[in-house]
Formats: sequence, C-alpha cells, structure tokens
Amino acid sequence: MNRPAPERNHILNALPLAAREHLYPHLKHVVMPFGMVLYESGAVLRHIYFPVDSIVSLLYVLSSGASAEIAVVGNEGAVGVSLFMGGETTPSRAVVQSAGSAYRLSGARLKREFDRHGQLLNVLLRYTQSLITQMAQTAVCNRHHALDQQLCRWLLLSLDRLESNELRVTQELIANMIGVRREGVTEAAGRLQKLGVIRYSRGKITVLDRPRLEALSCECYAVVKTETDRLMGLHRG
Amino acid sequence: MMRAELAKNLLLGRLGTGDLHSLLLESEPVTLRAGAKVMVAGQKVAHVYFPIDCAISLLVETGDRPPVEIGLVGREGMLGVPLILGARQSSASGLVQAPGLAWRVEAGHFMQCLRDSEPLRRRMQCYVHVYMTQLTEAASCKHFHKLTERLARWLLMSADRLQSSELALTHEYLSYMLGVRRAGTTLAARGLQERGLIDYSRGHIELLDRGGLESASCACYAREKKRYAYLMR
Repeated sequence: MNRPAPERNHILNALPLAAREHLYPHLKHVVMPFGMVLYESGAVLRHIYFPVDSIVSLLYVLSSGASAEIAVVGNEGAVGVSLFMGGETTPSRAVVQSAGSAYRLSGARLKREFDRHGQLLNVLLRYTQSLITQMAQTAVCNRHHALDQQLCRWLLLSLDRLESNELRVTQELIANMIGVRREGVTEAAGRLQKLGVIRYSRGKITVLDRPRLEALSCECYAVVKTETDRLMGLHRG
Repeated sequence: MMRAELAKNLLLGRLGTGDLHSLLLESEPVTLRAGAKVMVAGQKVAHVYFPIDCAISLLVETGDRPPVEIGLVGREGMLGVPLILGARQSSASGLVQAPGLAWRVEAGHFMQCLRDSEPLRRRMQCYVHVYMTQLTEAASCKHFHKLTERLARWLLMSADRLQSSELALTHEYLSYMLGVRRAGTTLAARGLQERGLIDYSRGHIELLDRGGLESASCACYAREKKRYAYLMR
C-alpha cells in the first residue's frame, strides 16, 4: 500500500522542517477502515491521530445508544486533543466515517515533543480553537437549520477533508451523523439529486455542482471553513 | 480585593500565589450589567473575565434567527478560551445573563502570563477541556432532550453559577437561552411549578426543590457536574 506523505495532514505540514524530521520516526502509519472506533467516550487516550486521507467523526453517545456527530476531523486536524489538554479522557466517541489512513503518535511522545518544539503545541492549540468553533456551530445547526441545509453542510465539510468530490457513504450513516431518521436523508438526498447538485448511487455520492451545494447549505459551513482556514493559516485561493 | 473574594472564582482560587499575582498586575474588578456584551463574535478579545458572582451566556449568532446559547460561564470558569489557544478572536459572543462582579485581565497580559508560567498554562488548558466537554453535551442535549428536562438543567446550572436559588429571568429570555418559542417555555415552566419545584412570578424564578429539579433534569446536569469536579480537582 502506498503511504500518503504525512505532510498531507495540515498540522504536520505546518511544522518547521527540523521539527518534522525529529517527529517522523515516531509516527506510525495506521490503516483506518470504515467503522473503526479510535476511542470510546470516557476512555483514557493513549494516542493522537493525524488523518491524511480518512475522516473521523466525533460522536456524542447517549445512554440510550442514540448518537449525534459534534465534529468531523480529517487532514486539517487531529483526533485526541484531550490528550494534551490535560483531560486524559474524552466525552465523545471517535469513529472512522470515511476509510483511509492516519499517522499516530503516542501521548508520551507527544508531550516530549512539546518540550522540544513549541510550534507543535501552538499549532495544535490553534486547531483546538477551530474544533471548538465547529462544535459550537454544530449545536446551532442542529437546533435551527432544515435537514436539507444540514445535509449540504455535512457533505461539504466531509469533502473538504478528502479533497475530493466523491464520498463513499450510506444514507444510514449520514442519518446517524445528523441525528435524524434515514427516510429523511433519503428524501433530502433525492431533492439534491433532482436539482443536479449531487449524484447518488449505491453507497457513493458525487458532487456535480459544488457552488450550488455551497449556496444550498446553511451559513454554518462557511463559518467553520473560514475560521479553520484563518486559524490554520490557510486562505481560500 | 481580598484573595478570599477572588477565590470565589474557582479557577482563580486554585492558582498558585505567584500566578495569581502576575495575572492581577494588569487587571481590574468590573461590575457587569445584565444584557451587556462583553465579548463580540468575530472581534478581538480585549479582556478575559473571571466571574465572581455573575453569569455570562455564550451565544452563537446566526443570520436570521435568534442566537443559540452554547454555554454558560460563571464562577466555575472564565470567558476568553480563544486566548488560551493562541487565537485572538472568538467565534461566540458573551452576553451577561445575571449581573454581578467579574475580575477582568487585559488580553495581551493574560497571554504573556501563559507564556511565562507552565503551571498556569496547564491549569487553563484543563479548563479548555472542561469547556469542550460542556460544548459536546450542549450540542447533544439540545438535539435529544425534552424541553422540560433542559429547562430544569438550565435553572440548576444558573443557580450553581450564581450560588443563589433565586434567578431574575423573563420567559422571553429563557426561550432565547433554550432556543425555543416563548409559548413552549411558558408551558414547561408551568409544569415545573405545578410539581412544586419552582415558583415563578414575572421575571423572577425561585428554585424550591433542588432534589426534585435534579430528577426532572436530563442526565447531562449530573454528569457535567461530576466531570467538572474530577477534571478540576
């Protein structure tokens, strides 16, 4: 299997060369199959993951088993920020939503690297702020916005993280993420397809008209995107 | 201000003397009015606030609808998390919900203190973790739980932050905080009143039966409280 370069992850890419060279021998490339649980809510974290071409959903799980997504993490970020916040355990479950791979670093090594390269901590802290923005916006979106808009937001956030216009995903998965019934997602996806914005065929969604998809999404997508780009030092070109 | 007074804010109260003193060099006590906006989304954070006996709602504003409350900060916390993370702007606004006293520290000075003191930085990052946990719960609670449960939780959270069983609140304000229509809030509040848990009269809510309210609340309240005690130990 070809290993994607670690620099495809924006956090790793933001590090100075010397810091990268020092860090890379400690990174382990891990395959992330669909549905893999990186950690359960309440679990003690041992690793931080830097996705390169996979997407991980952070889910809040209720005691009834129902769950809702509070954030998505892909090549713009890292999974396991609690590790360096001093929280040890996490309130959410992290599960792979789109298969691919990631680079993994042990918590102990991460802390040692912080002492050596201040930059790594700074980039991770800024990323945490963008994650907070995403979580807050998701709360708003769940409360206020129509399912069709939420679906557009969800597709856009996912696609940005894959840098692709195709997503392998079932409607059932989307329903679980947005926290609605599957029938609702089927209808919403059907409407987007009729408008020529997406094409949906068995477990695969292809975006045909991205500007239109952005126009149909609620403002939440742009808020999260702008803030993430700003904090991570990227600008829309 | 006496240290005992400052220590009413639980974050300040747990700082070492050295860290507390350096923070206080560029700080002042401020009395916050209800409805004052002490942090504006998209603008630079000018000060961090450590509430002593006031409560500040964190709101995310949307284009065409009323803002949504994503958090409530009182004596257990602080306003200005972005600065801890090295960001100068906040994506949420801070609106004073219950008036009172807060201790505020100038933003640049606060960031300098973080750079200078590893223990302070660790303490503050731990609070960021708490804050993220609260956000996580807020998102799912809004999504899944019934209005009455959420109302009970919100009243308990407010009472904890103010250390008072009396809250000055209108139904309109409550609706805003819970993100629902006023009629819904009125109905839910009436339900709690009929069960003898609260006494509501124009702009004023008194918590009569805390135990009862805790049972009426969703599990989020107890869980969050337990987690805070553990994380900030």
